[in-house]
Amino acid sequence: MATDLTTRPDEKAKASEPPVGVATPHAETRTPSNPETLLNWLLDQQQEMTAVEQFSTVHQRGSLPDQAKYYSSLIPASAPQAGQQYAFDVDLDRCSGCKACVTACHTLNGLDEEETWRDVGLLVGGTSAKPVMQHVTTACHHCLEPGCMSACPVDAYEKDPVTGIVRHLDDQCFGCQYCTLACPYDVPKYHSAKGIVRKCDMCSDRLAVGEAPACVQACPHEAIAIRIVNVEQVVEDSEANVFLPAAPDPHITLPTTTYRTKRVFPRNLLPVDYHSVSAQHPHWPLILMLVLTQLSVGAFLSGLVLERFLESSLVTAMRPLHTLTALLFGLVAVAASTLHLGRPQYAFRAVIGLRHSWLSREILAFGVFAGLAVLYAGGNWIGPESFTRFWQTWIGWGVAASGVAGVFCSVMIYAFTQKAFWSFSLTSTRFLLTTAMLGTAAIWLTLLLMSAGGSTSAATIITQHGLHIAQTLITAAGTKLLFELAFLRHLTDRQITPLKRSAMLMTGPLAGFSIARFALGLLGGIVMPALLLPTISQPQSDPVFLPIVVSMLFVACLAGELLERYLFFAAVASPRMPGSLR
Amino acid sequence: MTSTATDIGNFFHQRTGPLTRELLREPGGFGLGQVPGSLKPDATTTSICGYCSTGCSLNIHLKDGQAVSLTPSTDYPVNLGMACPKGWEALAVLDSPDRATIPLLKDESGKLQPVEWDLALRTFSEKFKTIQEKHGTESVAFLSTGQMPTEEMALLGALAKFGMGILHGDGNTRQCMATSVVSYKQSFGFDAPPYTYQDFEESDVIVLIGSNLCIAHPIMWERVMRNPHSPEIIVVDPRMTETAMNATQHLPLAPKSDMALLYGVARILIENGWVDADFIAESTNGFAEFSSYVQNYSLERVSSETGLPAAEIERFARLIHEGKRVSFWWTMGVNQSYQGVRTAQAIINLALMTGNIGRPGTGANSITGQCNAMGSRLFSNTTNLLGGHDFGNDEHRKKVAGVLGIDEDLIPREASWAYHEIFEGILRGKIKGLWVVCTNPAHSWINQTQARDILDRLDFLVVQDIYHNTETAQMADLVLPAAGWAEKEGTFINSERRIGTLKKVRKAPGQALADFSIFKAVAEYWGCGDMFREWTSPEATFQILKECSRDTPCDITGIEGYRMLDEHGGIQWPFAGGGVSGEGQREENGGEAESFPCPSALTSLPSQQRRLFENGKFYHADGRAKFLFEDPRPLTEPPSERFPFVLLTGRGTASQWHTQTRTKQSAVLRKLYPKNAYVEINPGDARRIGISHNSRVIVESQRGRILASAFVTHGVQPGQLFVPMHYEPVNQLTDAVFDPYSKQPSYKACAANVIPAA
Repeated sequence: MATDLTTRPDEKAKASEPPVGVATPHAETRTPSNPETLLNWLLDQQQEMTAVEQFSTVHQRGSLPDQAKYYSSLIPASAPQAGQQYAFDVDLDRCSGCKACVTACHTLNGLDEEETWRDVGLLVGGTSAKPVMQHVTTACHHCLEPGCMSACPVDAYEKDPVTGIVRHLDDQCFGCQYCTLACPYDVPKYHSAKGIVRKCDMCSDRLAVGEAPACVQACPHEAIAIRIVNVEQVVEDSEANVFLPAAPDPHITLPTTTYRTKRVFPRNLLPVDYHSVSAQHPHWPLILMLVLTQLSVGAFLSGLVLERFLESSLVTAMRPLHTLTALLFGLVAVAASTLHLGRPQYAFRAVIGLRHSWLSREILAFGVFAGLAVLYAGGNWIGPESFTRFWQTWIGWGVAASGVAGVFCSVMIYAFTQKAFWSFSLTSTRFLLTTAMLGTAAIWLTLLLMSAGGSTSAATIITQHGLHIAQTLITAAGTKLLFELAFLRHLTDRQITPLKRSAMLMTGPLAGFSIARFALGLLGGIVMPALLLPTISQPQSDPVFLPIVVSMLFVACLAGELLERYLFFAAVASPRMPGSLR
Repeated sequence: MTSTATDIGNFFHQRTGPLTRELLREPGGFGLGQVPGSLKPDATTTSICGYCSTGCSLNIHLKDGQAVSLTPSTDYPVNLGMACPKGWEALAVLDSPDRATIPLLKDESGKLQPVEWDLALRTFSEKFKTIQEKHGTESVAFLSTGQMPTEEMALLGALAKFGMGILHGDGNTRQCMATSVVSYKQSFGFDAPPYTYQDFEESDVIVLIGSNLCIAHPIMWERVMRNPHSPEIIVVDPRMTETAMNATQHLPLAPKSDMALLYGVARILIENGWVDADFIAESTNGFAEFSSYVQNYSLERVSSETGLPAAEIERFARLIHEGKRVSFWWTMGVNQSYQGVRTAQAIINLALMTGNIGRPGTGANSITGQCNAMGSRLFSNTTNLLGGHDFGNDEHRKKVAGVLGIDEDLIPREASWAYHEIFEGILRGKIKGLWVVCTNPAHSWINQTQARDILDRLDFLVVQDIYHNTETAQMADLVLPAAGWAEKEGTFINSERRIGTLKKVRKAPGQALADFSIFKAVAEYWGCGDMFREWTSPEATFQILKECSRDTPCDITGIEGYRMLDEHGGIQWPFAGGGVSGEGQREENGGEAESFPCPSALTSLPSQQRRLFENGKFYHADGRAKFLFEDPRPLTEPPSERFPFVLLTGRGTASQWHTQTRTKQSAVLRKLYPKNAYVEINPGDARRIGISHNSRVIVESQRGRILASAFVTHGVQPGQLFVPMHYEPVNQLTDAVFDPYSKQPSYKACAANVIPAA
């Protein structure tokens, strides 16, 4: 009965006719009655696709998509003028929390299986007599001053001069993920399989031809629209903090999304995930890179400082080995940093972001540092003695200066994100103390290597300066551990501030890391150097004492700092858009 | 710029390339607008969504005959271009390693092992026949579903009852819609939800009782949001739900105090003369008795029993009176109750007494749960004989036997046991073999620990499902791999009685077969294949079912076939065709089927929005609707010192469906709901017990203890808890009590306690 019902969708569909000779289930054939024959027949039939032939939809080509009749009032009729741009406009009174926008964005943009560019969070509050719940749909806010764009070292972001849409250039991205840290709204999402970040582009090519973005098309309640906003108004609203309750402070990036409601929200309106703390991704290559660059810079610095107090023969004895050690750690750090890139082959592109990206500047500073360090360390091994002594000292200070500049850039990378736990003061204190502590510990390592190599100079240096070196290490380590311990005072904050969240993470889900961190810091930075103190005036006769103590000192210090840096990443908490129940 | 310069420029700053092209959108054709370039279709077709009863149409994008993507159908009169997350992700859940791809048979060590279909079906027949020989044919039963196409459930019902001699079969619709079925049958004379979705847009007062439309039926909420009359929206629900948040009046009444509230409102309406006396006189019976009965519901009494302020109750009554087009809607908050039928009828009574029925924007409207609960109600051959007929009626049996060409004596003279009676039957040793099709009782049935213990007692349990590892499939002796939605054909009937088609647009994995094909094969292996020779395909079966419906209130003989359904945006029953007008309908059909006067306007071409009872005639023999009422009963398990809370259960998010066998397969949907069970608790209670946000807690009832995390919210009232039903352990807590008329389980209220987990 079905043969006369067949209709072609349009001329294109004719190409996809099923293979000739395939029976359709509606063909006037009797089903086999022998059970086994029937089974085979049914199994074959199950694999036949006949919907095109029988049911494909007839469609007349029109200029606008069918769905346009629902969304035409939800997108601007004209392009923005100067001083204006496109923006998402969310009517909270119409958002029911169905989350169709999330799935529609996923489908209509062909995103990968787990990839989503839109989120829906929930705010709750009020009283038992008048409870309030408010779902909030959110995507990229196409900010006036996008954090992602300033942070990006390779200029993989651009803000369209006419529409204001912040687009990500997928082929330019080298996967450093700095934008994912710099965006206060958690918008750019790293796609590890592709090694790049991807994000919402307001379906710019749909808008360009008069179609609505996926989320706008798909919201059953017309809660999302695209409107033209005045840039001045966005600035004004951001300064007055008119954005959304419990959302990140809008003055950082000047988000353009408008959230409108006629409701009066109670003052206790909080995101449902307000009380949940979850550890963040730790970024192991960055942990290694930060700790080892700081170790390397610290080692060069401590070497130069120590040399000021040493007679020249001791300098000659110590410098080649010490600078080589420092260089090796520095090179491992640089190698580790490339592991963090999704597409390390494009690392060279980082030079183009120098004008605005602290990551570009960091890469440049450490690039110079590594170059000079090779020159410096290498020169100490091969250069003609009389010539190099003078130049080498100057190059040494060049290494130190570029290294300190690099560490400063590292600090700024995190300070730029405006996360409280990564503030300039907290981060610079942390990084500089690591530099001092590991730099001093590196002296001990060099002295150990020297004595292992049969040099008597090591013993001389220990006798003359060991006390100060050990005291310096104890001071640096003690200060650092107290500084980190003092951070936990935020546990007593009455409000769940981002700093309290970090402290809660460190004492809750990450408590094991915290305990190990303090134990190792204490062992390597206090206990081991303290053990060395009495032996300095009375040289130890036991030949294994020094190797064991110094090895433990160095390894514990380094491991402790690595754990400290793990906590630096994993325990960071930042203001975020309201999330959903977890 | 020269090309070399461009290359160098690109080297440092590459604006486009392969990664950019991956996400490029292209005009999709077929009226779609832009689509991802990699998913550009070469044809499209439509299919009704396979989750809930809203019955949205999805536009399936095809490439080389197979579905590659989907978007909501723009012009379908149900969803108007929209879908909820489940619909958007409907194809994604088909690609899962959990799919059943080959029959699995339990070996001697109790482990399920892959076997050929031939062995599976031989074992199926041998085991069930052996049980039947030993314990009687009625010792094998089946549990069906509201999730399969009508044609499949009809073939299952006919095969089981007429071919295999099975007497007892029920569906999971018992868990969601039985209450509405019985209340409509008793009040209207037929199970007939009278409305069309357009009513959401035409009401000026919308009353939602026990219905969180925003979350459970987001696309119906779309229709409410499109209402241009700034309607009053009154939500009766103990919880502050998304729907309640959008209400103009939220009545957070005490759990299960709905009947007192509705009777009290009826009294106020009567006392003020706010009733439609003409309609009552011409179209109803029993108003006088009802009127005197509700005098017992003084404002003080109702206020004290519901916990609502008197002024709010009066306001509710006044809004109903002032509305010109008042529609009443209910869902599981009413249905899943130990007194659900009478509660639903208390709603129906309000619509009848105010004349709010049979007109645009009115009605006493049950919103169904599953995509084909309505098909199951008419054609599953469980409680009703095919086509809404009565097993006990000689005429009906004769008619159906005639249509099917079978011996009338093969049709049982009694209806099946209800779901819980089948479970009791297992416990009493009366049922030894069970065939579970497309449902997951080991998760969903009430008092889960006991339910699993009962399933364990079976001699042979067959589970037919699209996933091999549902909680029930894990208990099975034999698992039959089924093709899923989009891998087979058939029709669904939605909440507003609209019949729509689904298409086969995906290849089923491995050896999975459409349930229709499995039933056909079972018939051959059982030896009753001849009985179903005419049931060659789902569409051929549709033609048979049409004949079964002839001259009933759900007469669909005017529908030619699937193509006609597609062309008209689905067709609501009844549709007998033939250009018969509404006024003359009753007389014309009266002679042939006296018990089924057909009151609806029928024309030769179906209009897209049709409602019942426009002429004020109902399906009882005298054409009148009945006022039915009864004393409300206290909670079956009131809070006690040991279990001081009332535990409510219900839907969590729009991204979750029932026992999650499907929705948990989509990575995107998984991101949209909490992974583990949580319990909503009022901040006052939480503080008293020492429970903080997100802390781990134990929720316990007389029947079990479960772990959950705490969601401290004012959305639940003090003394109440709420746990979403989607999480596996939840039904360890619920209490197996049932509505005496509909036999529907009362999932919504039992006594519970909550304590911090150690």
